[in-house]
Amino acid sequence: MFLAIKEMLHEKLRYSLIVALIFLVSYLLIILTGLATGLANLNKAAINEWDASSIVLNSDSEGRLQQSFLSQDEVASLPNNGTRISQYSTLVKSENGLKENAQLVALDSKSFIFKKLKITSGSKNIRNNAGVVSDKFKSDGFKIGDYLLVANSSLRIKITGFTPRATLSALPVVYISPDTIQSLNKGVTNAVVFKNTLNNSKIPKGTNQLSIGSFINKLPGYSAQQLTFNFMIGFLYIIILIVISIFLYILTVQKLPNLGVLKAQGVSTQYLVLSTLFQSFIMSVIGVIIAIILGEITAITLPSEVPIVIDKSNIIVTGIGIIIMSLLGALIPIRQIAKVDPYKIIGG
Amino acid sequence: MSNLIFDSVTKIFGEGSSKYVALENINFEAESGQLILVIGPSGSGKTTFLTIAGGLQTPTNGDVKINDSTINSLSKKQQTKLRLEKIGFVLQSYNLVPFLTVEEQFKFVDKLKNQNLTEQKMHELLSDLGLLELLKKYPNQLSGGQKQRVAIARALYTDPDYILADEPTAALDTDRSMKVIELLRDLAHKRNKIIIVVTHDLRLKDMADKVYQIIDGKMTILEK
Repeated sequence: MFLAIKEMLHEKLRYSLIVALIFLVSYLLIILTGLATGLANLNKAAINEWDASSIVLNSDSEGRLQQSFLSQDEVASLPNNGTRISQYSTLVKSENGLKENAQLVALDSKSFIFKKLKITSGSKNIRNNAGVVSDKFKSDGFKIGDYLLVANSSLRIKITGFTPRATLSALPVVYISPDTIQSLNKGVTNAVVFKNTLNNSKIPKGTNQLSIGSFINKLPGYSAQQLTFNFMIGFLYIIILIVISIFLYILTVQKLPNLGVLKAQGVSTQYLVLSTLFQSFIMSVIGVIIAIILGEITAITLPSEVPIVIDKSNIIVTGIGIIIMSLLGALIPIRQIAKVDPYKIIGG
Repeated sequence: MSNLIFDSVTKIFGEGSSKYVALENINFEAESGQLILVIGPSGSGKTTFLTIAGGLQTPTNGDVKINDSTINSLSKKQQTKLRLEKIGFVLQSYNLVPFLTVEEQFKFVDKLKNQNLTEQKMHELLSDLGLLELLKKYPNQLSGGQKQRVAIARALYTDPDYILADEPTAALDTDRSMKVIELLRDLAHKRNKIIIVVTHDLRLKDMADKVYQIIDGKMTILEK
């Protein structure tokens, strides 16, 4: 790759411009991917923490938790190893004026979901109007022992512990007991969540079993939001492909006479093709590395309200994606290289 | 002892009414230690002759042999390898890779051939051609004559059996043209190479060991 490296070092400005373009598009891609992941997490983090396989809801609910109401008979005919979920969306306030929109989720303290909950501080106690709340409350100024005053109700929930990654439909979750939620929604069961997938014969009439993945996709606004992000991300990949193609094509056309002479002198087409692929690879790797570093710095410096998550898997997928697009972008100039006839260059 | 033979070589471009005979029944022979000039006006078929000799084109009829092996039946890949190992090209322009220094032009050849010739050999060659002081210069920092000398040195660096030069003096004034052709003649004689120079510059006739003329695709040997 002697020729490729020497050319890049000699034509620093030209190649730096291409690297700069790859960096800018990659940076945008990393930020968008981070935002998509962050927003997705806001919607589904709590559900992921449940570590469940399926959920049974009312068949008329279209997979929406809030629209699902299961009768006592339906709940009773389901296997008893499930976790009954009762949910209520509301505004909660602290005694010193802090406000937060929240999802109150009631479940049994012996359920597999509650047993799985991790605690970052405090204790895991939801008895006697106590609640384990999302650590979003903590970052917003709530403390252990504070009371959450539920809007339009006389219910007071005492914070006993904070739990990480507990957001549902972009709102922080407050885990409480079925007794505590009774005064808000008459203790209706919205859904029953299972660790395993149930045999269809065990699903009572009038209810519907969904995989957790399908349930997440049906969360209000979730699919539309993710599709929008995926469209933008896909479009940016295409932009990278076009940018690399155009720039390498122009550079290749400019040096066609030299390439023809090199071929005449015995330099194989394979060598010249590999040289161009190598240049494309190096440029994309440099652009991606700078984009990742700047993306990480951006994620750290952005206010916590911006839901951006730049994790390892995102970086790996995005990095590999950009590099693949760059290599694909080199295919058009490579065709030019393969087509150069040294005879035409020498023969005029 | 190397040789290059054209045995009844004909090259035809196109078909039907657009048919054009570029070379017609060419018989040609060159041996080591000879500087051969192929002269003729523009469009006479000189460059076609050179490109067929270098394996860049195949003849329509007839055979081209290097050291008694036919090259026009080789695959493209084999012809490329042959050019790298046996043939040195010196061209009118675009001779040198623009982003490599003089020294790197030679290192590039080393990389291509997976060889690691000693710096001493490179320095000897460059010293013989009066190019040592240009080692760190890029082609755009060289004069026309210097560029041609570097191109000749690079063509010689792989120790090819023969060198094909296409109008190597076209961009040079009379004095520099003579110097370049003298250099090529010395190389042919001292290093025992076949050097074929295609040119329309009749001033060079006296310097060659053999002179061929091509007119309308037909080749004749000129008495010196």
